[in-house]
Amino acid sequence: MPAEKTLDTLRQELRKIVAEIGEISEEEIKDDANFIDDLGFDSMKALEVAAAIEKKYKIRISEEEIPKINSLVNVFKLLEKSLKN
Amino acid sequence: MKLQDKVAVVTGGTRGIGRAMVEALAREGAQVLFTYAHNDLLAGQIESELREQGLKAKGFKIDVRDFEKINQWKEEILIEFGGVDILINNAGIAKDKALMMMSREDWDEVIDTNLNGLFNFTRAFIVHFLKKKEGNIINISSVSGLIGLPRQVNYSASKGGMISFSKALAKEVAPYNIRVNVICPGFIDTDMTRKLREEYVRQMMPLIPLGRFGTVEEVARTALFLADETVSHYITGQVIRVDGGLTM
Ligand SMILES: NC(=O)c1ccc[n+]([C@@H]2O[C@H](COP(=O)([O-])OP(=O)(O)OC[C@H]3O[C@@H](n4cnc5c(N)ncnc54)[C@H](OP(=O)(O)O)[C@@H]3O)[C@@H](O)[C@H]2O)c1
Repeated sequence: MPAEKTLDTLRQELRKIVAEIGEISEEEIKDDANFIDDLGFDSMKALEVAAAIEKKYKIRISEEEIPKINSLVNVFKLLEKSLKN
Repeated sequence: MKLQDKVAVVTGGTRGIGRAMVEALAREGAQVLFTYAHNDLLAGQIESELREQGLKAKGFKIDVRDFEKINQWKEEILIEFGGVDILINNAGIAKDKALMMMSREDWDEVIDTNLNGLFNFTRAFIVHFLKKKEGNIINISSVSGLIGLPRQVNYSASKGGMISFSKALAKEVAPYNIRVNVICPGFIDTDMTRKLREEYVRQMMPLIPLGRFGTVEEVARTALFLADETVSHYITGQVIRVDGGLTM
């Protein structure tokens, strides 16, 4: 199913972005790992993830949504929602 | 032209130093978005004067004290102009009197405009700058914030606060290629200083080594220097005095 494939690719791309910004390997990032508690991100890093996603997918993440950038699952949900709109 | 394709926001851009900066930035090719609190007519006049010269400036009635409105406006202009490169926090007021005569309102109004206004605008744009990993913030404080001046405890406190705010922020955001600098004008010939009593002016004049008040253009040219990243890119967290030597 092509749609599912796209979602999978999205997930992979996201993991890559987060790994690059966090300077950690992709394998280290569990889907539900908390960026701050488990991966040692700070709020600026979360913002960098937001900026990278905005640029790559040409979407806008509002300032209120930035605190939601705290795990791969949540970022994925955010991206999915934005891409639908 | 030094600022071609740059977008600059200037608060309090309809009179005095603000207006001179709006004109100077526009002349260097920037798209200037300036704010004001009261005079719509004057704002329109500035817009059309600059338009006739082929320059780009647009006025917006936005009180620097109105955090909500500033944030709403920010969203709109980021979409309309595609981003902002330079933020100049200039809007400011003075309500000079001896502390014993100063009301709570006199205190609040000055702190709210000069210091909270700085927070409001900078807070509104900082996320945009952080995301871009680029930004240039120029804050107009005063020599009063450096040395303290009598009958200005409210104004001196607000301007001193602007300086500390700027240094703290400069350190915080330097890793993101965002620069924050302060200009401290001395006595500049504007509506603000025209209100000073003659007696006070006579007393202050001998203290200014260059022996005269400064002009708004002299402050604007210093702002241009900070706005132009090709000349000031390695300068951040600095306090530049444009005061004829008053506070050396
Ligand atoms: N003049 C000096 O000698 C001197 C010396 C040191 C520092 N400074 C500083 O330089 C800055 C500019 O001073 P200036 O002498 O050019 O003042 P000015 O001639 O009195 O002009 C002030 C400007 O700020 C705007 N403004 C005032 N309150 C505002 C508010 N709540 N929201 C938005 N805009 C507002 C005014 O617009 P409206 O007319 O619409 O209110 C006007 O455009 C101030 O921060 C001042 O403290 C001046």
